[in-house]
Amino acid sequence: MDRLIALVACRWRMDLRRLLGARERAFGLLFFVPGALVFSALGSMIVFGVFRGLEGTEPELVLPMASAAATGIGLFWAASPLLAGVVLSEAADVSRLMHFPIPLSTLAVSSLVANLAQPAALAEAPILVAAAAAVAGVNAIRFPAALLGVALTFVLILACAQVAGLLLHGLSRQRRLHDILLFLGLAAGLLLSLAPLLLLTSGPGGLATVAHALSARDVFMASPYAWGVRAAIHAGRGQAVPAVAYGLLATAAIGGAMAASAGLVQGIQRGHIAMGGGAVRSRRPSRMALPGALGALVEKDLRLAWRDPGLRAVLVMGLAGSIVVLFFLSRGGPSLASGTPVLLLASFVGVSTFGSNALGMERRGIALLLLFPVDRWRVLVGKNLAALTFRLPSLLTLALATVFLAPPTYVPAAATIAVLTLMLSAGVDNYMSILFPMAVPGAAANPYGRAAARGRGLGAAAVSLMLLVLALVLSSPFAFLAWLPALLGRPWLWAATLPLGLAGAACVYAMLVAGAARLMEKREPEILERVLVEA
Amino acid sequence: MDEASHAIVVSGLTKVFRQKTAVDSLSFRIARGRFFGFLGPNGAGKSTTIKMLTGLLRPTSGDASIEGHPISGNLLEIKKIIGVLPEELPLYERLTGEEYLHFAGRMYGLSAAETRRRTDELLEFLSLAEDRGTLLLDYSQGMKKKVALAAALIHNPRVVFLDEPLNGIDPISGRIVTDLLRRMAQKGVTLFFTTHVLDVVERLCDEVAIIDRGHIVAQGSLDEIRAQRAVGQDASLEDVFLKLVDADVRRQDLTWIG
Repeated sequence: MDRLIALVACRWRMDLRRLLGARERAFGLLFFVPGALVFSALGSMIVFGVFRGLEGTEPELVLPMASAAATGIGLFWAASPLLAGVVLSEAADVSRLMHFPIPLSTLAVSSLVANLAQPAALAEAPILVAAAAAVAGVNAIRFPAALLGVALTFVLILACAQVAGLLLHGLSRQRRLHDILLFLGLAAGLLLSLAPLLLLTSGPGGLATVAHALSARDVFMASPYAWGVRAAIHAGRGQAVPAVAYGLLATAAIGGAMAASAGLVQGIQRGHIAMGGGAVRSRRPSRMALPGALGALVEKDLRLAWRDPGLRAVLVMGLAGSIVVLFFLSRGGPSLASGTPVLLLASFVGVSTFGSNALGMERRGIALLLLFPVDRWRVLVGKNLAALTFRLPSLLTLALATVFLAPPTYVPAAATIAVLTLMLSAGVDNYMSILFPMAVPGAAANPYGRAAARGRGLGAAAVSLMLLVLALVLSSPFAFLAWLPALLGRPWLWAATLPLGLAGAACVYAMLVAGAARLMEKREPEILERVLVEA
Repeated sequence: MDEASHAIVVSGLTKVFRQKTAVDSLSFRIARGRFFGFLGPNGAGKSTTIKMLTGLLRPTSGDASIEGHPISGNLLEIKKIIGVLPEELPLYERLTGEEYLHFAGRMYGLSAAETRRRTDELLEFLSLAEDRGTLLLDYSQGMKKKVALAAALIHNPRVVFLDEPLNGIDPISGRIVTDLLRRMAQKGVTLFFTTHVLDVVERLCDEVAIIDRGHIVAQGSLDEIRAQRAVGQDASLEDVFLKLVDADVRRQDLTWIG
């Protein structure tokens, strides 16, 4: 017990220091803490309202729906890049402690207990209380029992996330498999997070279909995530036997997850979990194809992005973002015939290069890049070109969407607006990257960890907002020029306005890059210092 | 010797991090073609000095010049003529060894054909040809060190900064690398070299500077330093080093051991 207390206290002390020492603590206090409170309050109200409403109108749906929700949340936490990052980092910490004579179960439990104090976990506490209150009311016996039940599910969710992190850590010996799983995990997390949104926007019909499918076949009854919640519901209804039975099952599931964690820690440490052959050696020639320093810079970024699961996920998420916007645009709102949805989508795709963080994406490679005697404008243009290339899937989506949302003649104009906004947003974002350099966290790095990215601070957030507005302001005259023929109803004018718009935007981009390159030369040591400390 | 014959001239170089002075008014000169060993305990200011000389850190005060180019001037001119092997290797780990060297060659302005020729030669020379298509992520620490060294040499630099170049390299590769460095010095390349392995310094370096808490406490050839510090001619560099940095290595036994 002494060891467990020491381990948990040590972890909490480090977490607290990290939070207090973080540069973005003012930003956190102003935005994240109120955000978390609002999330807790809203979450509590929704959970309470849904439980009470269902219990009153369709009580037979409560168990299957709650089971499905608990399972969905559990899977999301296990697959979520954020939380998988946390548990992965924890898993690495746990394996670092292996040479001490500490029982493996103590190591696994200490990590679980310490995770309960993470901000993301604490924000869930009011929701758990609301869920218990919804199913049990204020009954002095049923309420604690129901709270225990939902708490068991929550602890199991954390324990399974820990197992997932350890598994990922074990798989890191087989890099390619690790990368694929991480990428799939990120994609699954994204899809799971989009699922409720799509379900809600599909209207009452969609929800009803899902609810009836779930009630007809209570398939999630077998999900361990559901057992604690089911225990809580039975406790709330005063059904002691099933409540105790599900409670015991949930406790056993937590024990199983802890045992699996301990086993994984041991297996990883002793090399029992050799999931693959380790390094993939190759003597095949692998040359860079694009010519010149600029070509090498672009090719380097493209190759790195394609081989890095985290960066590759950015591509997929960028694509998913435009599809989601398209989904909402296609559900009515502005008139389709006017082409306004296309204009909005083109601007959305275009502004997506803002925040591409050219220098921070280099992480520790920044020290290498800045050692090369390459003109800094080439470095910036190379990074921007790569960022633009990453947005090609979004551009394709835009082109396809335009065909459905507006007359096909709008495609060149929409593409031009997207490209010029992409270009100018990237040009403006260079300043953000130079003035407030921030290393992007590595794939699966703990986003709360000191070694991963920190925020840029409150002042930087304000400057970022101003620069985003600047990017839109700079793009607007050229976007207007590109859209003018549509407004006038004279499509043939596009032959003149589109090249003019692009040329004008290119001139502004060149000026932006020239200024940014000069600024970068002056600030190189500061950029390096900042990114290297964080990376 | 006049200033023009020196590859590196450092004058009053100082770096202060917040309130801590990491490097304090360093001044020294290194003639062309010298193999210069820069020694000191951990935290003495060696890496900070290299970072300032290579333009990665801005000095708080003082100046330096590399082959006549001041570090307060156009740093790109300096970066064209130097090669740097940093202590921490910030490599692009998801490039293969060959891709990485191709990238470095292009960044130094070499033509595609010349980059390919030099890459092939370097990979063979450093016994990396078998792993030319392997991602750097899958390289061992020693292999990464070798590929970083290859990138530092691909453009035929006139001054090379090497921060702990032999860390993690096996004895065979270590010998190949030290022989290469020695031949480079003979051909007029200036080598600025830091290491904790003092017998390597004794074997390779023409001249040594010892830095302690940001100050240079001794500089010259080993014989000159021995003479300055009145230690016998048979004293090892380790003896001289410990004396110069005023290291107290005497300790009582731990009370609970045994």
